[in-house]
Amino acid sequence: MFNIMSITLKGIFRDRVFHGILVVAFILPLIPVISTLSMRQVTELSITLSLSLISFILLLLAVFLGGTALWKDIERRYTYSVLSLPITRSSYLLGRFFGNALFMLITATLLGCVAAVVVWLVASGSPPDRQVVWMNFFLAVFFDAMKYILLVAVAVLFSTVSSSFFLPIFGTISAFLVGSSSQQVYDYVNSQPAQTLSLLTRKTASSLYYVLPNFSAFDLKVNAIYGLPLSLKGLFLTVVYGLVYGGIVLALSSVIFAKKEMK
Amino acid sequence: MNAIEITNLSKTYKGKKFSTVEALKNLNLTVGQGEIFGFLGPNGAGKSTTIKALVGLIAPTAGSATVMGVDISSHEARRHVGYLPENPAFYDYLTAEEYLAFVGKVFHLPESLLREQSERVLKLLELWEARKRPIRGYSKGMVQRVGLAQVLIHDPDVYILDEPMSGLDPVGRALVKDIMLELKARGKCVFFSTHITADVETVCDRVGIILKGELKSVEHVDKIMTEGVLGYNLRIRTRNQPELVERYVAKEDLEMVMQKLFTAGDEISLIEPSRKSLEDFFLDIVKGKIC
Ligand SMILES: Nc1ncnc2c1ncn2[C@@H]1O[C@H](COP(=O)(O)OP(=O)(O)OP(=O)(O)O)[C@@H](O)[C@H]1O
Ligand SMILES: [Mg+2]
Repeated sequence: MFNIMSITLKGIFRDRVFHGILVVAFILPLIPVISTLSMRQVTELSITLSLSLISFILLLLAVFLGGTALWKDIERRYTYSVLSLPITRSSYLLGRFFGNALFMLITATLLGCVAAVVVWLVASGSPPDRQVVWMNFFLAVFFDAMKYILLVAVAVLFSTVSSSFFLPIFGTISAFLVGSSSQQVYDYVNSQPAQTLSLLTRKTASSLYYVLPNFSAFDLKVNAIYGLPLSLKGLFLTVVYGLVYGGIVLALSSVIFAKKEMK
Repeated sequence: MNAIEITNLSKTYKGKKFSTVEALKNLNLTVGQGEIFGFLGPNGAGKSTTIKALVGLIAPTAGSATVMGVDISSHEARRHVGYLPENPAFYDYLTAEEYLAFVGKVFHLPESLLREQSERVLKLLELWEARKRPIRGYSKGMVQRVGLAQVLIHDPDVYILDEPMSGLDPVGRALVKDIMLELKARGKCVFFSTHITADVETVCDRVGIILKGELKSVEHVDKIMTEGVLGYNLRIRTRNQPELVERYVAKEDLEMVMQKLFTAGDEISLIEPSRKSLEDFFLDIVKGKIC
């Protein structure tokens, strides 16, 4: 598995998609310039912009690297040469996943540090009303990375189901969109005005809520921007949720992939 | 212990809209250690299907097989196997050297042995100069050579090669034959598919001929070659004639004719067996004349 992980990382660093996405990261240093265009809440704006940019870059990486990892191997017939080695299907799959996950973590760390420097520069240029809570800032980046690693797991699951590139890419994007709003839908369904909806609709919506990933808990942007206090218990539950959900998705992927025919 | 044992192996591919292809029907075959086995068959006969089942890429519909005594459903069976896929492709962002290092690590080769072996096989397959370039930039034959290199690097007991000579130049083909003979001398088992009868004739101990998913014949190559002798071409210098005379003699008449010539005091300058080649044997089976 570690062998697969290390060649996965090598592959990403030499991938053109990665180089393309890297270019996007060069927007980060421009943030101070953009932020100062706004007269008020310059620091808050710079935090918002940098967190959003990091989020966007990680989303691209999750979709295009996570979503295409297996598909590319099958399409280019690498699976014949790799899966015929004495490794199990699941160690190949997990090696691929953890290679991608580790890469996302590294990227998030690097981008997070660069963004911190940027925000610090802005904050020292025009001191904000509230102090920047750095802890929240870094936690926001970390949880964002966790969210997208979870999305990579979902992308891997889609790749094991279908061997085209259509489902992994678009499935992952849809999972992201739905996953980001499922909490709102769930809250609405269980609210007073929604009781007029049919029971079936409400039941379907609630069961979808449990099946689909729920990404909103991972979003700590607001806490980072306004320095709002974080609940330790909430964070802990989110981590547990991420681990359990990711574990289930990967286990399912392993089972499907073990049965897949490399014809 | 046999190197490869295949029992009642069948494979049916399921296509779209309930169409099915019976690619392999009840295959039974054993190949011993120290044996070179040629798996001969026309396009679409089921050679690659058999091989992919052996290395765990596809699951057989029925039947079973073992490699060095280990059932093929376990990934441990592949620890004894070097497999060359047909039209192979390898992570093309890696260099040949890096790819070999990857394969060596999967097979738990110690670092020093890995370096030594890597150098040996890269030089053997004439990839030494290109070893630091990504595989992306290799020619077809060079990729095929990488395929052979990654098979040889971990020195397995069983070699399963799907059309090992394809894409290689004549020098490369000769090299592959030499390598196979050398492996055999070291007691290794080589199982390879091909549709070129000449390759089988020169290196194989036994040949299996497969047609439309059914194994039609398994024979010792020597036996085919001797049984294939139909007659002899003699070149004779008779006493009363200065020029050489050519004469064809059927197999069963040879002794009688020789006796006659001898008593007549004629001189035989050449005896050449005229035989049915393996190719004719193969074509006869394909056209349904035998079996
Ligand atoms: N993925 C697949 N789906 C459906 N049928 C398949 C598939 N792969 C192979 N077949 C069928 O199985 C049969 C055997 O194919 P196989 O690839 O084993 O032939 P082969 O002997 O290796 O031929 P070649 O000499 O051309 O490589 C063929 O009839 C082929 O059409
Ligand atoms: Mg084939």
